[in-house]
Amino acid sequence: MVKKKSRMSPAYIFIVISLALLAIVMIYPIYNQLVISLTGPEYIAQADGTSIIPRGITLSTYRSVLAIPKVYLGVLNSLLITSVGLMVNLVLTSMGAYVLIKKDLLGRNVFMTLIIITMIFEGGLIPDYFLMKNLHLLDSYWSVILYKAVNPYYLIILMRFFSSVPKSLFEAARVDGYSEFKILFKIVLPISLSGIATIALFYGVFHWNEYFRSMIYLTSQVKWPLQVVLRELIVSMEKAAFIGATNFLKGSGAANIDFKAIKAALIIIAILPILMFYPFVLKYFVKGRTAGAVKE
Amino acid sequence: MRSETKRRLKRDRQLYIMLLPVLLFFFIWHYIPMWGARIAFQDMRYIGANEWVGLKHFKMLFSSPVFFRVFMNTVTISTMKIILIFPLPIFLAFSFNELRGSIYRNALQSVIYIPHFLSWVVISGIFISLLASPDGVINQIITLFGGDPVSFMTSTRHIRWVFVFSEAWRSIGWDSILYIAAINSISQGLYDAATVDGASKFQQAMKITLPSIAPTIITMFILNLGFFMNAGFDQVFNMMNDAVINHVDIIDTYVYRVGLTKGNFSLGTAAGLFKGVIGIILILGTDKISRKISGEGVW
Repeated sequence: MVKKKSRMSPAYIFIVISLALLAIVMIYPIYNQLVISLTGPEYIAQADGTSIIPRGITLSTYRSVLAIPKVYLGVLNSLLITSVGLMVNLVLTSMGAYVLIKKDLLGRNVFMTLIIITMIFEGGLIPDYFLMKNLHLLDSYWSVILYKAVNPYYLIILMRFFSSVPKSLFEAARVDGYSEFKILFKIVLPISLSGIATIALFYGVFHWNEYFRSMIYLTSQVKWPLQVVLRELIVSMEKAAFIGATNFLKGSGAANIDFKAIKAALIIIAILPILMFYPFVLKYFVKGRTAGAVKE
Repeated sequence: MRSETKRRLKRDRQLYIMLLPVLLFFFIWHYIPMWGARIAFQDMRYIGANEWVGLKHFKMLFSSPVFFRVFMNTVTISTMKIILIFPLPIFLAFSFNELRGSIYRNALQSVIYIPHFLSWVVISGIFISLLASPDGVINQIITLFGGDPVSFMTSTRHIRWVFVFSEAWRSIGWDSILYIAAINSISQGLYDAATVDGASKFQQAMKITLPSIAPTIITMFILNLGFFMNAGFDQVFNMMNDAVINHVDIIDTYVYRVGLTKGNFSLGTAAGLFKGVIGIILILGTDKISRKISGEGVW
């Protein structure tokens, strides 16, 4: 009885309604882009920010956008950088985390300190750029893959997951004559899958969303990931890029597609992988968020 | 002693082999650039070694009205963000706590985290579409109520508020996770006892929930202060335009523009170092304060 009464109280109803409104504020801007991208070319001129349902639903905007060489190359580059980058991240971070949970390793505290220092101080953008240049990595995919090969925050998150592996398992493996590599890959990783999933998601989102380093390091446009293409077309709206893209579309017989719809379709393409995986991986994100915030 | 050291090194040699690539990574991509930052104290020469010039570039920086403006923008934007955004995730967590056991809660929560996973390029695209064009939703609403459309992205009066709002849009859900977790770990017994004593929901929130999550709030506030000088490069870089540059240009965007695009490498590095040093002072200072208040450091 008491519970039911509190459920119906004005304060409770107020909270439910305001949270629902907040959820709409969070999701509507994204939904709005989806509506614009799906609106048929003949209606796009009338479509505005307040359209709730797309009129004349069509995928023609997506077909045209994906036909722009820059865009499909961008998708491919993003997939390449994200997948190779992720492999490098996971191998290095799990090796580092596995070694650094050994409290009796000689020099461990020095290594930890050196790693933590990099969290609060960095050489800066320009020294980074010169390093890339001196290593002859400019215009190589490796420049954007390697510069964040290990993220210290994620290393610490993974260490937390690894620490919860029962110590007796290590002992048993050592008795069986397993090498450290074998212990890591055959025992620790399989039972820390949720930890690996957690940091894989963080790294994956990072690579997928990364644009700035790609923009300054990757000098040939054919290597640009999707976000850089997006930035050029959406944010800076460089005239050349705009004209180039629309000329291309004219050539493909899609002259009447509005630039507004092109931008919206690109935005949706850029967030689609995240939205697709989101429901399945949400719990890992939340786990990582809380694990990352708890102090050592 | 020495033989003991040798024994341990030998025993753990496989571990050192595993750690080597990781340490190599940190050495190459973090410590070499720190050493590279010495060009802030040098003049670049295209032939031969660079010439050491001491604090010349720092003096240039501090006497430059542009840098002063950039510094003030950084401080202003960061302050606005901390004051206006910091309390919101806490309110949010309290509100979600009231929905305990209801079916909406999970769905609402997951929706509110989504913006955190979008890049600033995407967010800028969305906000430009929402705010800049006369047929964006906000201007549609303004005209509906008889107002004139506002070009928010190019208006010096509005752009900083756009920054605060878009940052809030992106981060409050994600930040609320921590407070929600902290609230969830409070023992239910405390609330039951308070209910028996006749405490209202509001009294429970103020007397039980708030004090219980106070350490989390303090830690988060301190961490935020520590990263005060990072006013949000990605956001500013993507939302900035010529009309508002004087109001939103921050140290990080200044470093990029002066250093990389205009080729004043030493000046740009000096600005970056100046920011880095202030950041360290803030982090160490707040760490001290934290130790005094809560007995625990940030690190």
